Amino acid sequence: MNFWKSIALVASTALIAPASLAHAQDATAVTIVLPAGPDRLDPCETPRSVIGRIIKQNVVETLVELDYANQKTLPRLATSWEQTAPTEWVFKLRPGIAFHDGTPFDAKSVVHSLERTNDPALTCITRTKYLDGIAIKAVEVDPQTVKFTTKTAVPILPTLLAQLTISSVNTPKGEYTAKPIGTGPYTFDHWTQGENVGLLRNDAYWGDKPVIDKATYVWRTESSVAAAMVETGEADLAFSIAPQDATNPETDKVYPNSDSALFRLSVDIPPLNDVRVRKAINLAIDRKAFLGSVISDKAELAMQQVGPSALGFNPNLKPWAYDPEQAQKLLAEAKADGVDVDREIRMIGRPAMFANSNEFVEASAEMLRAVGFNIKLENLEMTQWLKMANKPFSPDRAPNIFLTMHDNNSGDAAFTAFFKYHSNGRQSELHDPALDALIVSAGTKSGDERVKEYNEVFRKIYEDVVADVPLFHMVNYMRVGKRLDFTPTIANAVELQLARLKLADKATD
Amino acid sequence: MGSFIFKRSLQSVFSLVALIILIFFLARMTGSPADLYLPQDASAEARFQFNEQYGFNDPLIEQFGRFLWGLLHFDMGQSLQFSRPAVDVVLQAFPTTLALAAITMPLVLLVSIITGSLAAYRPGGIFDRLASILSLVGASTPNFWVAIVGVLVFAVTLRVLPTSGTGTALHWILPVGVLMLRPTGVLVQVVRTSMMTALSSTYIKTARAKGVGSRAIVFVHALRNGLLPVITVASDQAAGIVNGAVIVETVFGFPGIGKLMIDSVLLRDFAVIQAAVLVTALAVFVINIIVDIAYALVDPRIRYS
Repeated sequence: MNFWKSIALVASTALIAPASLAHAQDATAVTIVLPAGPDRLDPCETPRSVIGRIIKQNVVETLVELDYANQKTLPRLATSWEQTAPTEWVFKLRPGIAFHDGTPFDAKSVVHSLERTNDPALTCITRTKYLDGIAIKAVEVDPQTVKFTTKTAVPILPTLLAQLTISSVNTPKGEYTAKPIGTGPYTFDHWTQGENVGLLRNDAYWGDKPVIDKATYVWRTESSVAAAMVETGEADLAFSIAPQDATNPETDKVYPNSDSALFRLSVDIPPLNDVRVRKAINLAIDRKAFLGSVISDKAELAMQQVGPSALGFNPNLKPWAYDPEQAQKLLAEAKADGVDVDREIRMIGRPAMFANSNEFVEASAEMLRAVGFNIKLENLEMTQWLKMANKPFSPDRAPNIFLTMHDNNSGDAAFTAFFKYHSNGRQSELHDPALDALIVSAGTKSGDERVKEYNEVFRKIYEDVVADVPLFHMVNYMRVGKRLDFTPTIANAVELQLARLKLADKATD
Repeated sequence: MGSFIFKRSLQSVFSLVALIILIFFLARMTGSPADLYLPQDASAEARFQFNEQYGFNDPLIEQFGRFLWGLLHFDMGQSLQFSRPAVDVVLQAFPTTLALAAITMPLVLLVSIITGSLAAYRPGGIFDRLASILSLVGASTPNFWVAIVGVLVFAVTLRVLPTSGTGTALHWILPVGVLMLRPTGVLVQVVRTSMMTALSSTYIKTARAKGVGSRAIVFVHALRNGLLPVITVASDQAAGIVNGAVIVETVFGFPGIGKLMIDSVLLRDFAVIQAAVLVTALAVFVINIIVDIAYALVDPRIRYS
């Protein structure tokens, strides 16, 4: 905001009556409060929630979209697809669609979008998170048909393509754009840096006409302010308010956010190299005691690092019981066999990893001390925490119990299993050839076989190896104003389809 | 006086250069931005490419040389977050913080000089006690807490002010009020003490004996002499407004430089950190010059030395 404009604005305070607080706005316009503002609005960065929640499936659309509830991929800009060879997929495109700039949606635009995403000049998260390593290419077969080829067989290519947004051929390559041009039900209207982003309904949209005709996105870091904005009618919907601010059951709705919290154990370093010690840690933490106190009572006890929405989630695993006597017994056994169970173990947390995470690690440390562990608690700032999280691990590091939170909203366990548990995974403490082979094998399968093999991967990790301490599948709270009729789902962790917002009956009267 | 200001300017330039060098190297000791800008499971090639693209693979001294060369050409580099020139990002945010400070400080001075002077006029009286208690509370209450309570009381309960944002003049009342609290609390105490000393001086007794009115005694005779320490503390408080602005901008969603600076530190956006520190340091430097001039205007001993 301009300096003199700001001064003039404040100088006119006396002339403005409080009546201006009436928040008069169009009945079909909404204001949405995000926890953080966007730094760019580039279509190739939509896996970042700060961008995806504004433009994904609103301004720019994908060929397919994920149905988290049924673990399926649904048609969007593509009408059908088939795997024509192990490394080849053919997608048929929906005809008669135009981008907001008037250019046609066709195979050329799909090829352009993929090439732009693959361009190393941009740090496209869609590429670095989902497409790196598969050398994916696209060619035009005809205007309505695209063929994708990959280096190796990728049975979940449609799932991956649910992350690739398609933008107009006029979107420049090699530079980020702040003006996304897509095919979606809303067109990009404006972005006032630091203040708000505006979208307008695209009346020429190929699908059903949405109810909401205008959306303004603002951002407030402080959860209580975001919640207050909805309460006072200044806004209609606030993402991710803190549990302590979710005080109104009528407006505050809980939804799984695809984050799973757990303690990773440094399984190679004594005394954590003894499975009895690792089991004792699992038995000593009273997970249920946290629910409804420092962790939301709507969070679920975790048995593995992926949540139920990911294909490969093993529903047969049982959460650890709280049994401090058994924990003490296991520790005593290990001690009798010469394991140095009195050695100091670092418990590493990170401030604000999730709401009340500091309180959580403090209480967990105390529970472990109660059964005889020698715990030294440390909270690390983000980059220091990342340094410890990622390989190469320091060769002389102390044994550690490391708090992590993993977000897998891709709909498939592949994005967790390799990264977290394969010998070559960047955050893996394990190096078990049999497990490695199983992870690689599961990644090449599809359908039920894929589910079965990933189920076995997680069973092995949690029952045989006891590699870490699964804690909770986390939830977010969204405050939805009384004008709207909307129930959030896990998809809202990374996107919010404005077309799915409806006005409450009262609001339309 | 010209040579005095020249000398002070020269000192400030040296401080500025030292600050720039310090910020450059300290920022780079805090870890690699690649870890923050790429997904945690990004490949080693992607991380290498990122570092290559932004020059982080080069030796530190080479990066510093490039930074200095850019600085000589008024180029502070590209923001990692915004993919725009860092100077543009900072200069876009700066006017909001400047406006906050420009509105807050005169109000702080007005309120604290009047309150402190009146409190000093009758030490131990009801007004003095009330002013002392309130100023202590103001100086010691955390801005963050006051901001949240302010929103709950004035926006949610009474519905007389908006919760946050920058749309109308009303949006500025809570942020400015919160930002005023601490410096006003401190300055009321300083004005009170300074005025008590001035009011017990012999020239005040002479003025009283000559029948000068109490308003003229306080606001004309005593105030001018009591102002010197007030100016010193006020300049510190003005510079400290950037600190308060971090809280205020965060809570109220103001797109200012305080929040930008904190976000850039957390996200290792080196170019923006450097540009923001430089612009803020320049602002503090200008405040210091203004204070020096104010000193000279108030105290002829400085003007003629």
